[in-house]
Amino acid sequence: MARVSFRCTMQEGQIGEETRAALADGLRQIAADLLGESATEVPVSFSDIPSGFGFRGGEPSTTSLVRGAIVGGVAQDVREAILRRICDMWTEVSGCSIDELVVTAADA
Amino acid sequence: MPFYRCVVPQDSVPYEQREAVAQAFTNIHCGSTGAPRSFVHVVFDEHDDRWDTPYFLDGANRAGRPEELKSQLLSDLMSAFQEITGVPSEEYSGRITEGPAKWSMEGGMVLPEPGEETTEWYEHDQRMQGQAAAGG
Repeated sequence: MARVSFRCTMQEGQIGEETRAALADGLRQIAADLLGESATEVPVSFSDIPSGFGFRGGEPSTTSLVRGAIVGGVAQDVREAILRRICDMWTEVSGCSIDELVVTAADA
Repeated sequence: MPFYRCVVPQDSVPYEQREAVAQAFTNIHCGSTGAPRSFVHVVFDEHDDRWDTPYFLDGANRAGRPEELKSQLLSDLMSAFQEITGVPSEEYSGRITEGPAKWSMEGGMVLPEPGEETTEWYEHDQRMQGQAAAGG
């Protein structure tokens, strides 16, 4: 069983199914490269926030949230490497701006 | 961060109230902590019934603030929600959990500890507000 999993939450209508598959592949590859996980075993889930239900700074949000949980924790330098790789991959694959992305890699 | 998730029954809070709650939460959070406005995320969730009350505020903040400030913040947020929605207090409860700032990245930067936001973060905030005003 993988010790890392990812939950991705997006605003409704912003990221299509094909792009989600590519994002999931990207997240799994990052887990494999930086944590030595078997890419095929890393759970990745996606959920949508319906239009009109998500806000940032009091205004309708266009921000996606990627929440990683790492069982047993990880050193901060590795965590930051994971966070940066996810930001680079996500913006490249989805086309969203870096300002529209929040990424967490939490010890679990 | 912060991330405020308002658990509400289906179709119970119309858009105008959701928007008003989101703006009130942003004003309260930034007014009491000094955090940039773009840090504040508010989401309404109609599909979570795990809580003891039908309405629930599930907040997540950066760790490191004084207890007094945290309890006042929760109290102010809950009061604002009730004032805007009219939900009676016996149907509403809430909590704020905390996590280390360094676990998260926004705008490509690791989050600062509370109170240690540099000018860079407020520039990021202005960029975000500009995008919101432009509808993007």
